[in-house]
Amino acid sequence: MKVATNASTKILPTLCRMCETRCAINVHLKDDVIVNITPFKNHPVNRGRMCPRGIAAIDLFYHPERILKPLKKMPDGRFQEISREQAIDEIADQLQSIKAGHGARCVGVWKGEGAGFYQQEDYARRFVHAFGSPNYFSNDSACYNGRYLGHSLVTGFWNPFPDFSVADLILLFGTNPPICHPPFMREFADAKEKGAKLVVIDPRLNPVACYADVFAQPYPGTDGALCWGLIRHLIETKNYDTQLVEQYVVGFEKIAAYAQRFTPEYVEKQSGIYAGVVEEIGQLIIKNRPRISFFAGAGLEHHENGVNNIRALAILGCLAGTLGLKSGLFWPEEMGGRKLTLYDQISLESEGPIGADKFPALYDLRKECHSMTAMDYMLGKGAYPLKAMVVTAANPAVTNPNTTKVIEALSALDLLVVNDFFLTPTAKLAHYVLPAATFLERSEIHYFPNKQIVNLTAKIQHIPGVENEYRLWHDLAHRLGFGEKYFPWNSEADVNRWILEPTDITLEELARHPEGLVYKPIRYQKFKNQLVPTPSGKLEFASSYLKNLGLSEIPEYIPPYHIRCAKENYPFVLTTGARKSLFYHSRHQNIPRFRTIHPEAFVEMHPDDAAQLNIQHNEMVRVSSEIGTLDIRVCIRHRSELRKGVIEIYHGWEQWPVNLLTYDALNDPISGFPLLKGVPVRIDKIDASTSAEHQPDAACTT
Amino acid sequence: MKIIYVEQDRCLACRNCERVCSFQRAGGFRQENTNIWVHIDLDARSIFTMTCLQCESAICMEVCPATALQRNPETKAVTVNEHQCVGCKMCIAACPFGCLHFENLRQVAVKCDLCDGDPACVKTCMAGALHYADINELAQRKRRKIDLKLSKHPFFLQGLFPK
Ligand code: SF4
Repeated sequence: MKVATNASTKILPTLCRMCETRCAINVHLKDDVIVNITPFKNHPVNRGRMCPRGIAAIDLFYHPERILKPLKKMPDGRFQEISREQAIDEIADQLQSIKAGHGARCVGVWKGEGAGFYQQEDYARRFVHAFGSPNYFSNDSACYNGRYLGHSLVTGFWNPFPDFSVADLILLFGTNPPICHPPFMREFADAKEKGAKLVVIDPRLNPVACYADVFAQPYPGTDGALCWGLIRHLIETKNYDTQLVEQYVVGFEKIAAYAQRFTPEYVEKQSGIYAGVVEEIGQLIIKNRPRISFFAGAGLEHHENGVNNIRALAILGCLAGTLGLKSGLFWPEEMGGRKLTLYDQISLESEGPIGADKFPALYDLRKECHSMTAMDYMLGKGAYPLKAMVVTAANPAVTNPNTTKVIEALSALDLLVVNDFFLTPTAKLAHYVLPAATFLERSEIHYFPNKQIVNLTAKIQHIPGVENEYRLWHDLAHRLGFGEKYFPWNSEADVNRWILEPTDITLEELARHPEGLVYKPIRYQKFKNQLVPTPSGKLEFASSYLKNLGLSEIPEYIPPYHIRCAKENYPFVLTTGARKSLFYHSRHQNIPRFRTIHPEAFVEMHPDDAAQLNIQHNEMVRVSSEIGTLDIRVCIRHRSELRKGVIEIYHGWEQWPVNLLTYDALNDPISGFPLLKGVPVRIDKIDASTSAEHQPDAACTT
Repeated sequence: MKIIYVEQDRCLACRNCERVCSFQRAGGFRQENTNIWVHIDLDARSIFTMTCLQCESAICMEVCPATALQRNPETKAVTVNEHQCVGCKMCIAACPFGCLHFENLRQVAVKCDLCDGDPACVKTCMAGALHYADINELAQRKRRKIDLKLSKHPFFLQGLFPK
């Protein structure tokens, strides 16, 4: 492909965005070609190391299947290449006429993980708001928001990453950091070198559990019971931060009363974790407080009881005295730059943001609409019709629950525009597909809130005809008549300058510091001099905000659906979303060398379950839930990896979409999160001959 | 001399090292093509990672009838000269650690050559378990670690004869 470069032979530092970790990297160019990517030495996030996914940014950039020209779907259903001008013109015309005919709110924007967060997210939010619609959707509907809400409802903020390296005890809930947050590994090892203990709680035994001092394997969705058991243990033995509770907490009595029922025996009954192990973990907390890192992964939020489980964990963190500490619930500050979002200037709350009626906390706290409810609006079952959607680097036809419904809904739109690198299953449904730019083709500001560091990425390449997100929103806005007002900047550099203006950091200075700049000195334990940003200004163990919404005031533990509504004909519990080491959700599965490690999908099973059903390793089976069915091969795991009765399928496969089985309408009442990890299913044998011709892969690696 | 050494108690078994090793040699991944390997024993819940230690008197080098195994003058790595290798596989039989393997495509023995002094596995070890350094640095690291742990021990905190 023809490529224009900023420098022909050079090494350019920037940040990797093959996953959200954003390690600092050096991109090596030779005669305009990216020949190598190596770790940048001096960044505090990755400290001179990087993972194989990052190196594969070359494979992504030069991928032969990349879309390089805008595509328009013709009446016969085939795509035809058109010019970018024509594409932008036609899309803008159609958006305008939908706005004129039905109102601006009938148009939505959906920003995916492939685009990134921070600035990319803010561009999308700004565009849709300036257009007049409150309907901003994102991948956060099924990742991140649940944890954000769970913590914010208690402490008023959330800093996703404690500094594990200075902890005396680390407790991980439902997460597999070697794969999803590789730099955590160094911090764990640093902490363990100093004698710290590691506790891993996960329904699935990942290798990190071999590194742990204690590993506990709960039934999916029962973490809340364990958290409450630990809260009880701390209160009963009077080993909690009494000063904090006296001065900074509301609702302590309520949670103390509620915690009483969570005896170790009761926790064992709920979660399957032995009572003795619950007490052992409790003792570890007592012995090591306050320097404890509690960390919840996405494993906790993909349930219909997720937010309350996470609230209970946040309360546990407060009781253990971890609030405001480097190793604990540290409250980061923002840089103080200008905001691209328009919520302060234009309120569109009265326009009926989709899902805000059902999940008010989601819109109140995250200004995010509910992507599962959006499907109903697309299908004409909402308060008003959702007619058009502009999707950037999101793949809901694979990653949103209830795939059949998602495809039906997206197909019902009058206008679906997808901006992506590849012709994904979502892009295939679009009326227009625009070629998206990778992270190597844009310059943007990144934040690392836990370290209060700001970074600028370098635009390394530009492929003529392939424009980045900023240009997409800029060009559409100008064509729609609000560009002058809301997207006046000609270049990304101008935007970045405008963002930085109120701060004392200049763009030039930032560009000179690929290792990042600390934008504000870090202050610990701020809650002692400053009210926490909750409605009451205190730590809300009981939330009157939620009570007024008719939701549970304290984070009551509700047993998960598969236990509460156990069904005889769906005897297995399916969890989805355990990570594959080289994929990132639905991304990277078309990188050929990665497929030598993850060649195809499989359902992971306990050997006893397989034996009972007379199923062989690699045999094709049919997995069915109340929602749908999926045919998939079996991988029989080591007997300690999964509990009997629990099965696991990866969530990102385009060819084997496990979301055919997951519920879109069994939602957490606070976050609206779908039930993805705890789906009752049945496994049936299919005709045995289907398995015979398949050459078994050796390892079914995770 | 610099070698790749593993700080076993820092390895979390992400397997990145195996992957990049295989990728850079073969494009794709095959467990048997990696020159570094992570052994995860789920019964014992243990992790063990191993690669070639570039022995001072390397038995693979000694047994090679074709003198295909040679020491790189700069990196001091024991490397296979593929033009000279006759594919007899003696080195594979001789190495007590299993650090050589046979490349079926090219019909030659293959081993870790320290990537000419810039080992890819080390750059990808985000846990900081792999190091490319003098082996005595490992001894130093171990000493520092044990000091850290023991200095916190009551025995040392209170002196030899606590009151
Ligand atoms: S962990 Fe890997 S993919 Fe993620 S940012 Fe770092 S190098 Fe890139």
